[in-house]
Amino acid sequence: MPISTEELEGGITKVILEGRMDIEGAAAVDMRMNVIAGTKKAVIVDLQKVSFLGSMGLRALVAPARAIKGRGGKIVIFGPNELVEKVLKTSGVDTMIPIHHELQNAIAALQ
Amino acid sequence: MTGNGNDTTGERLNLRSRMFELTHLHPWIERLALRHRIPANTQFAMNLCLEEAISNIIRHGYSGDPDHSIVIWFTSPREDYFVFVVEDEAPPFNPVELPELPPLNSLEELAIGGQGVRLLRRFADALEYQATPTGNRLSIGFTVTGSAIAKN
Repeated sequence: MPISTEELEGGITKVILEGRMDIEGAAAVDMRMNVIAGTKKAVIVDLQKVSFLGSMGLRALVAPARAIKGRGGKIVIFGPNELVEKVLKTSGVDTMIPIHHELQNAIAALQ
Repeated sequence: MTGNGNDTTGERLNLRSRMFELTHLHPWIERLALRHRIPANTQFAMNLCLEEAISNIIRHGYSGDPDHSIVIWFTSPREDYFVFVVEDEAPPFNPVELPELPPLNSLEELAIGGQGVRLLRRFADALEYQATPTGNRLSIGFTVTGSAIAKN
């Protein structure tokens, strides 16, 4: 599962995930997500190109979110499709990591 | 009711009780979807529910012991209705009657695994559990029209 990062103004890091966040996808991004969680304080997780999210994928989002918030940072989710958003909302992850569909709103939430 | 009764005639996938075996699910569901013209939204729900059900069996039913089997049968009793029957030989475990954990509400709560039952119930259209003489049988039904995906 491809993962890439983009540095935005204001010290914000956008993490772009692509593909399926199933057990295989989660395993592929876990280490990189943990490194990001240990070093960044303002993170946008871009899920626009994520086609599937299961509970293994949820773990790969929640553990880094906890680490970032634990260090006083902020994290938001950007652009999930309808079904991925339903998984996030059904599990309650959206109450821990806010969801935004406009990039400007996601950036504003981190400032 | 899933409407399949004990009918386990149909296409079958055999898995070992190892987490990485879950990687076989997606290509299998894709093949079934192609053959049975299953829409993408329903495929999403199928992948999600089977991942949940099977990872629960591996982690909890078999307690991580990697040398057990899990058999999944696929049937389509009618054109717009699809059923997966998941059979294991683990101690009795009925996810249909299991109380749901409340949704996650703080970063201190990381029991994502406990959200699996909630996801299963929200994304499946029908769930039916039967204890068998050797283990468990869980039937998970999906309709194309009036799907749980559209309802919630």
